[in-house]
Amino acid sequence: MKHLRVQTDGPQRLCLSGLDPVLLDCLQSLPDILAQRDAPGVRHRLFPDPTVADTEANNDWQRLITPELHHLFAAAGETVACDLATLAPDRQHKNHFRITFAADHLNAWMSALNQARLVLAELFSITDTDMNRPDFDLDQPKDLAVFRIHILGYLLQLFVEQASD
Amino acid sequence: MPQTGTVLISDTKSKEDLDVPWNVIVLNDPINLMSYVTMVFQRVFGYPRHKAETLMLEVHHKGRSLVWSGGREQAELYVHQLHSYQLLAHLERSE
Repeated sequence: MKHLRVQTDGPQRLCLSGLDPVLLDCLQSLPDILAQRDAPGVRHRLFPDPTVADTEANNDWQRLITPELHHLFAAAGETVACDLATLAPDRQHKNHFRITFAADHLNAWMSALNQARLVLAELFSITDTDMNRPDFDLDQPKDLAVFRIHILGYLLQLFVEQASD
Repeated sequence: MPQTGTVLISDTKSKEDLDVPWNVIVLNDPINLMSYVTMVFQRVFGYPRHKAETLMLEVHHKGRSLVWSGGREQAELYVHQLHSYQLLAHLERSE
């Protein structure tokens, strides 16, 4: 991922370039990962209760607020899925790719990447210990999930830095 | 007897909700990036970077942090915003 960059590409546009095949595979898996945001065990993480013990407040929240958050998260995923369609070869680096998108999609990208990391973590019950393991057996589904969480986190870090500029 | 113009608040729970400060608590999880959490605190609360980082580190090291305290309505709004960034957050009555 040494060529990976996020930079402005003309007015109001950003370019994510230097995407190697591994990162590209992670990005292209985003829609499938995000489609599992309502899976058992995942939903409570993405749509948590607002109080520890106030059942009435929690029920109201799940009835009134959660649908709005669900729509927000789904819209972010759809925005990123559309942007992925702009995938093109990166002329500066052989076997690498680039994606350009509107700068105001940056929040949607951060949301989708973070959602995907959380979904993977819940689906595979990822712990701190898993996250700190130094090596992976990518033939194992759980290890592949941890690997993808790290890869998507690296990309999210670049976007956070871009957003903070 | 109430004086003319005085409004009786019959729902004491609601009055307590208005009077007692509420805390917004953020919980740690092993997935959210430290830089991401810091950015969210800056965006949601308008905290300067140093304060946002201090609170993020408290979440990271202690497992939770009280990030804001005040009226219930505003606390709910902040929890809503924190959930929209996928942070684990809830409100609780101040003791």
